[in-house]
Amino acid sequence: MMRVMPVVANLLLSLLAGCAGLPSLAPSAPLEPVAPPTSAAAPPSSAPAALPSPAPAAALPQAAAPPEAPSPSPSIAKAAPPTAPTPPKAPPPAASIPRADTPAPEIAKPKAPPLDLASLEQRLKSTNAIGVLTKLTLKNQVDDLLDQFRAYYQGKLKTTLADLHRSYDLLVQKVLALLQDSDPPLATAIVASRDAIWGILSDPKKFATI
Amino acid sequence: MTIHMKRLLIAFLAATGFATSSLAADDASVKKDLFTVITLQGLPCAEVVSFTTKTDNDHMVVCKDGNRYHVYVNAQGRVVVEKQ
Repeated sequence: MMRVMPVVANLLLSLLAGCAGLPSLAPSAPLEPVAPPTSAAAPPSSAPAALPSPAPAAALPQAAAPPEAPSPSPSIAKAAPPTAPTPPKAPPPAASIPRADTPAPEIAKPKAPPLDLASLEQRLKSTNAIGVLTKLTLKNQVDDLLDQFRAYYQGKLKTTLADLHRSYDLLVQKVLALLQDSDPPLATAIVASRDAIWGILSDPKKFATI
Repeated sequence: MTIHMKRLLIAFLAATGFATSSLAADDASVKKDLFTVITLQGLPCAEVVSFTTKTDNDHMVVCKDGNRYHVYVNAQGRVVVEKQ
């Protein structure tokens, strides 16, 4: 027993050290994803969309579900007429019938991505995926972009809406690159709200209400 | 008595191990934060190898490629990265 104790202690300590050391292995690659964030963010968008429960969760299933539903339904609808004459394909038409009913909501869903800016802001503030200084830097860059929009609408800045859109996309991609690995649900929520936010920024009347 | 001492030693070592690993995790997260801030400003930094903290939001950073930066929050609340 006395001889076993040190061995057990060593095993315990090495296990503890190993487990505690694991999280520190991940810190190094926030920059590379800047280029491919949209493509990398897309896959998680469908998976975690079903997971989040808070307010944006209501947004996610609606935003994530439509893209999946529309693509199969047209293809199946197109495939259905040729298959109809063949007798053994009874199940596919059965599946296509409910999908044929869905096109009406499909058209409506992409047009109405729910946007909860307050919730997104709160989630960005409270996420642990981004450090404090990084959050502050991003806030500075968001403020700078909003100043550019303000100046543009006041006629003080000689630029185009396309340039501002590019700046907006770049900033969103930076945020997504930082979030996509450590906080995929929040990244998905931002992707879902991306166009809606641009809709506000690009409309002078809506922008004035911010 | 010996067993009691060994148990105490194990507990002490375990606590020390926890403290060390949590400090290392903090260090790594600050390095990651500083690295992200520097690169978000468009400045080169292969990897943050070390940093010294002057005050809460004032750091001197050394990158693996030899670049050194002063990263701090100014009076206007902006994160400033100055190449040294």
